[in-house]
Amino acid sequence: MSPQGRYRIPLLIALVLLLVFSVLSLSLKRSPVLKKVEGLVISLTAPGMEGLQYLGRSVKQLWLGYIYLVEVRRQTVELERQLEEYRQREVRFQEAQQALTRLEALLDLKRQVALPVIGARVIAYDPSLWSRSAIIDQGKVQGVKEGLPVLAPQGIVGRVVEVYPEYSKTMLIVDRKSAADAMIQRTRVRGILKGKGGNRCSLEFVPKNADVQVGDLVLASGLVGLYPKGLVFGKVTAANKKNPGVFQEIEVTSSADLSALEEVLVVKVANLALSEP
Amino acid sequence: MIAPLIAFSLVGLIFFYVQNLVLFPHVHLRLLSLLLFYVSLRPSLTLALALNLVLGCLEDSYATTPLGLHLGASLVLVAVARLSRRRLLLQQLGFQAVASLAALALQEVCLQMSTFILGYQPFFSPDLIKVHTMEILGTAFLGPLMHLLVQGVENFLRRLGWRPRSEPMPYQPFGE
Repeated sequence: MSPQGRYRIPLLIALVLLLVFSVLSLSLKRSPVLKKVEGLVISLTAPGMEGLQYLGRSVKQLWLGYIYLVEVRRQTVELERQLEEYRQREVRFQEAQQALTRLEALLDLKRQVALPVIGARVIAYDPSLWSRSAIIDQGKVQGVKEGLPVLAPQGIVGRVVEVYPEYSKTMLIVDRKSAADAMIQRTRVRGILKGKGGNRCSLEFVPKNADVQVGDLVLASGLVGLYPKGLVFGKVTAANKKNPGVFQEIEVTSSADLSALEEVLVVKVANLALSEP
Repeated sequence: MIAPLIAFSLVGLIFFYVQNLVLFPHVHLRLLSLLLFYVSLRPSLTLALALNLVLGCLEDSYATTPLGLHLGASLVLVAVARLSRRRLLLQQLGFQAVASLAALALQEVCLQMSTFILGYQPFFSPDLIKVHTMEILGTAFLGPLMHLLVQGVENFLRRLGWRPRSEPMPYQPFGE
């Protein structure tokens, strides 16, 4: 073997290792070059995903809307939409009632409803189990910025963590890196809602003497300003006070199905805490 | 090397689309890792490393984990595949599947360690271990199919006129 050939493989391996560690290290420093690479990969691959999704949706719509029980399907969709709307209205009503009883005159629900938003379509997810993120079809060009909250009709979905020219990456509230200030609607007990991966979140740092029950609604407290105050994160599905330590173990399930999102709203207000009274 | 790299990258992209549009969120499989393992069993190391870069970038771009996490951990797959190929002379599909299981398990350990070191999650979080184990077992089970697919892609490329630079000579017994 020639000297060139002898050193070729070790050199190749050393180069690849160097590249991987450099990329990882630059990524941890949030290098703009790597953001561009990431944006390029998404810009190149997401349109294919979008096209296939559109094709699948069209075929599905053709089947469901025209061939299979045309009228019944339309009525069901309409009734489901109405039901979801009434559920949301009920939550908002309860919230307003509680606010009135505590004489929180400064609570302005109208402002919450009237937040400027952009409609977006979810076109892809991270299919691995290592993170929970979704790619939406609105980006820098449409005015999306990092940190903006993303909502679904059922409640809060997550927030924008990366913005590319035509797309954005949303970190879902169940992602392990996600954390937000939250409160129990019934008792106003506050805690930090942390993503646990999979489809679960947990409400942390809630003392054991706090009143938390299964079924309680968990809302955004609006304290840090990441999410609009009063919007729904999810419901308490388990509360354990028998664990060691001073805090309860509270499991929260998101009210929106974070694995089957279709349309979402991006709230165009960067820091909601600044406008809090 | 360019032609097989493009072909296997396209296969990887198709797997990624299928995972995203069909399998997600009900079925979790590491099809890209398995593809990389079986491509790494082929003669060209350069192709395996280049494919690792392409698929790693693709996976990392859609995740919230830092770019480079999958890229680095997937190198374990390449390493195990090359080691198995050289030392164990893997020829049978069953042995290849067992080797892929070992490679996927090592990749998992590597990913767990990386995410732990980066402060992303606790080391071997018990709540997800079962899901990850099922994912790895299910993926390794598909090994023989992946072997056929990789062979099929190579045969397809050969029909188009592509030849590997250093194709090993076929075995010929003495006296013939």
